[in-house]
Amino acid sequence: MRYVVKKLITLIMTLFLVSAAAFLAFQVIPGDVVTSILGTEATPEREEQLREELGLNDPPVTRYLNWMGGVLRGDLGVSYRYSKNMNEMMPVTELIGDKMPVTLWLAALSLVLIVALSIPLGVIWARSKSHFLDAAFGVATQTAMAIPSFFLGILVTYLFGIVFRMFAPGGYVSYKEDFGAFLGYLLFPALSLAIPKIAMTARFLRNSMLTELGADYVRTAYGKGCTRRRVMYGHVLRNALMPVVTFLGMIIAEIVAGSIVIEQVFALPGIGRLLISSISNRDLPVVEILILYITFVVIFVYFLVDILYRVIDPRISGK
Amino acid sequence: MIRLEDLSVAFDGAEVVKNINLELRDGEILGLVGESGSGKSVTALTLMGLVSDAAQVTSGRILFDDVTLLEAGRPRDRSLYRGYQGNKMSMIFQEPMTSLNPTQRVGKQVDEVLRLHTGLSPEERRKRVLEMFRAVGLREEEKVYASYPHQLSGGMRQRVMIAMAVILHPRLLVADEPTTALDVTIQSQIIGLLREINEKQKNTMLFITHDLNLARRICRRIAVMKDGRVVEQGDTEQIFGHPAREYTRKLIEAVPSRIKTNKAARMADTAGEPAVQVRDLSVFYQDGGNSLFSRNRRRCVVEGAEFDIYPGESVGLVGESGCGKTSLARAVLGMNRDITGQVVHRTMGPQMIFQDPYSSLNPAKTVGWLLQEPLRARGLLDREKAMTGEEMEEAAYEMLRRVGMDDLYFHRRPSQLSGGQRQRVSIAQALITHPGFIVADEPVSALDVTIQAQIMELMQELQQEMKLAYLFISHDINVVYRMCDRIMVMRKGRIIESGDRSEIFEDPKEEYTRQLLRDS
Amino acid sequence: MASRISSLKWNKYLFAGLFMTGLAVLLGIAGFFRTPYSTTAMSAAERFDPPSLRHLFGTDNFGRDIFSRVMQGMGTTILISALVVLFSAVLGIVLGALTGYFGGLADEVVMRFVDAVNGFPSILLALVMISILGNGRQNLILSLGIVFTPSYVRIVRSEYLRLRDADYIRRARLMGVGKARILFVHILPNILPVFWVSVMIGLNNAILAESGMSYLGIGVQPPDASLGNMLSDAQGYLQAAPWYALAPGLAIVWVVLGFSLFSEGIRRLCE
Repeated sequence: MRYVVKKLITLIMTLFLVSAAAFLAFQVIPGDVVTSILGTEATPEREEQLREELGLNDPPVTRYLNWMGGVLRGDLGVSYRYSKNMNEMMPVTELIGDKMPVTLWLAALSLVLIVALSIPLGVIWARSKSHFLDAAFGVATQTAMAIPSFFLGILVTYLFGIVFRMFAPGGYVSYKEDFGAFLGYLLFPALSLAIPKIAMTARFLRNSMLTELGADYVRTAYGKGCTRRRVMYGHVLRNALMPVVTFLGMIIAEIVAGSIVIEQVFALPGIGRLLISSISNRDLPVVEILILYITFVVIFVYFLVDILYRVIDPRISGK
Repeated sequence: MIRLEDLSVAFDGAEVVKNINLELRDGEILGLVGESGSGKSVTALTLMGLVSDAAQVTSGRILFDDVTLLEAGRPRDRSLYRGYQGNKMSMIFQEPMTSLNPTQRVGKQVDEVLRLHTGLSPEERRKRVLEMFRAVGLREEEKVYASYPHQLSGGMRQRVMIAMAVILHPRLLVADEPTTALDVTIQSQIIGLLREINEKQKNTMLFITHDLNLARRICRRIAVMKDGRVVEQGDTEQIFGHPAREYTRKLIEAVPSRIKTNKAARMADTAGEPAVQVRDLSVFYQDGGNSLFSRNRRRCVVEGAEFDIYPGESVGLVGESGCGKTSLARAVLGMNRDITGQVVHRTMGPQMIFQDPYSSLNPAKTVGWLLQEPLRARGLLDREKAMTGEEMEEAAYEMLRRVGMDDLYFHRRPSQLSGGQRQRVSIAQALITHPGFIVADEPVSALDVTIQAQIMELMQELQQEMKLAYLFISHDINVVYRMCDRIMVMRKGRIIESGDRSEIFEDPKEEYTRQLLRDS
Repeated sequence: MASRISSLKWNKYLFAGLFMTGLAVLLGIAGFFRTPYSTTAMSAAERFDPPSLRHLFGTDNFGRDIFSRVMQGMGTTILISALVVLFSAVLGIVLGALTGYFGGLADEVVMRFVDAVNGFPSILLALVMISILGNGRQNLILSLGIVFTPSYVRIVRSEYLRLRDADYIRRARLMGVGKARILFVHILPNILPVFWVSVMIGLNNAILAESGMSYLGIGVQPPDASLGNMLSDAQGYLQAAPWYALAPGLAIVWVVLGFSLFSEGIRRLCE
């Protein structure tokens, strides 16, 4: 319990650091925000007014504190780029709000696919005695790991979308309209995202199992009269899965990164696309919030993995 | 009755066990003795049906009560073996930590034997396991039942292993170096327990060890193995008294033992100044790491050590693992900074020889480079002592010959050398700058007995030649007896007793010293 | 006998890896100097020609020869990735050696930073840095280099941490060997096997990251060809010209697979 509290404090501290770093980093960007919003033909008075409105005249520290204070109250600021109408600016909250679930569902679906497919594959691979099967697994995983997910996405689009017509490329259905159809569409991007990671994880698990199979306690188990099957599932698997949990935790950061690219491939309106467009539009409030948000997700997942690891590995938690 | 008839086992076509004939009589303890690589473990694993699939039985067979368990030219019958393993035959291994599943409670691991071989209910099984735990001397058996291996001490883990092995009263118990990883006092407790079980359960025991003294203490009969063959077998006392084979005789002679007279003459030069003087030395360690949240605790691991070592003198430091021997040695050499007290060196550049010859030589370098490095380092520190490349090479060759190694090893890497050869190079590297004082931390513990004897002999020769002062650390009081003029006994960070060798061995003052002497 | 079989085994990896990477690197280097067709010349008449002997991989929406553009793109990708790895590996060795061996406050600071960067999705961080630094090849190399440095720092640091208390290093200290000499003469050779494998893995990650960024339109800009921006263009013509997407995509797979087989071969060689 004390450990959890300690970890939580570190987590919050890291978030503050990242927020400060993100905020300050964008202060050094060349180019004036106001000109980019109003264009070059605005009057100096109008420019000055907007500057005051956005708080750009304050020193950076004050601006950071104001911004952070807002974030803590749930006010994420306004977008420089998008506006609701002529007079009202677009709050970042609204901009992000309906895009977040798309990305989260995509990441979650990929993770489910990875866990559900890689573990059985890894176990079958580790158990396979046939030389041919072993080599086939080896070649298949090496190849799958070499395919970048966006190319995989294009292949999936071509194969399942254009050749087999199993889904309509670009025919995204919002989760608000039809959740089933939403998930159905999401399956293909999730698959493109998951396949290289499935290969990686299966490989990792298989190697971990082979290492464990050479351990002394396996000999002890055989010495008791255990069958090969019992040794595998009763002793080896659990031990071999421990490092896989950490590995999966690390993969989550990659899934988040991958989903940014995959959203582009499948034209999904998630935060990844928003981030890319905000970066090219220099829509800084949006970029800052997105960075903070993604950092939060990643760190929080690490935190969960860490706790989970303590729960399942008695060597760490048993003290 | 178990018989191994003409058994040969090969890995990749190379035979590691050659035409072995062994007979295990009911209720006896047979010692299988040999140095590393002699094939004794492979023999035991083959007998147990636990040898890896890469092994091939090329001749002979194994009989268990007239049932042929294994025969050359026939694949291993796993299901036949499973009926015996854990039930009629079981095994205890050297490393109880790695031999137990790290993520399963030990109670459940012992329980599995009952689940596999009996039809008992869970409650009955639990009762049996708890009874067994008590019988092998584990107190608080309920707590032990629910523990994971890492929560138990080494001795307790080995007791759990024993409980697992004997819970079904197997006919055959194979113990493969069951005490090698343990401290001497624990060692003798475990040996006592095994003997007690043997008397109670009347099982046949195959006791495998590299330690002749140990074999002598527990076994009625002994078989000596070398290079995959049994070179001699017979009654223990007969073998010790009248070894028939040259190899057996050499093996027995190599074992450091208090019974034999010590050949080394005392040559300490106590008239002059001591080579090293230690006064009121305490050593501290930081606990708890560098975390932001936990306060560091400074723990005293050595307290108030005082001694002198004179040129040409060997002082032994004996104690169990964790008593602070190594911390003291490092502090004497200035490798531990957090100390109080005083260490005065009157010789130049004292050096250290480590236990593990595999980790004390840089694997990326050649022997020649390693031997020259101390000279190069000295040259870089002190211009006046700088030597030319040729001089250094000459000196390195010279030193290599002096530790009894051929010139051709000059360009080899440590991985191409045997353990004994590495320890020789290690000694050569320590001595090439002619230091007056050497700390040797368990320099022979990782070596086979015959090699052990050679290395100790070499160290004594070099001591005479170079007037070296040794601080010789060992857990093995017999090794210290052979090497040292004066002995210090250490326990829980304090030197509790010190004196001349004869004093310590013949008239120990402390109960702990007496116990150490009894147990080894 | 068995050792011969196992040595054949690694030869297979090494051979395949060498062949694939060798071919890719040769084509890439050649692409800097000469390509069968111009990589920029457009021809309306030859729009979307399917693969043929004339145009090995066909032509794209502007009638440009895809094979020539793949050559150029492969060269660009490999060169950028190599520079990224060079930058991050050198920086990683220096920082990792110093922090791992000496520890202390500098180690704490560097490691917190490394942890933060390491946990962050790498492509994302590079994107953010590009958005601060601006587009361009140098900035792409710099930002990917900085993003990849922490993984090397981590590997090198943990090796130094492990070896700094090795018996042979203790002995070297006792002999009076200088600190710099211990760091780079005594320890460094021992971590090279681990390090080379991580360099190869890093090269793969750099290739994937570079092509991913170019795919997103950040990184190498048109009309210069890179495998990523070709794929991005090709996506719009999947129905009309599937080969347009297939050629640069398979080129990436070829290069990455080649490097990973090669590094697997090296790993087995070292064992």
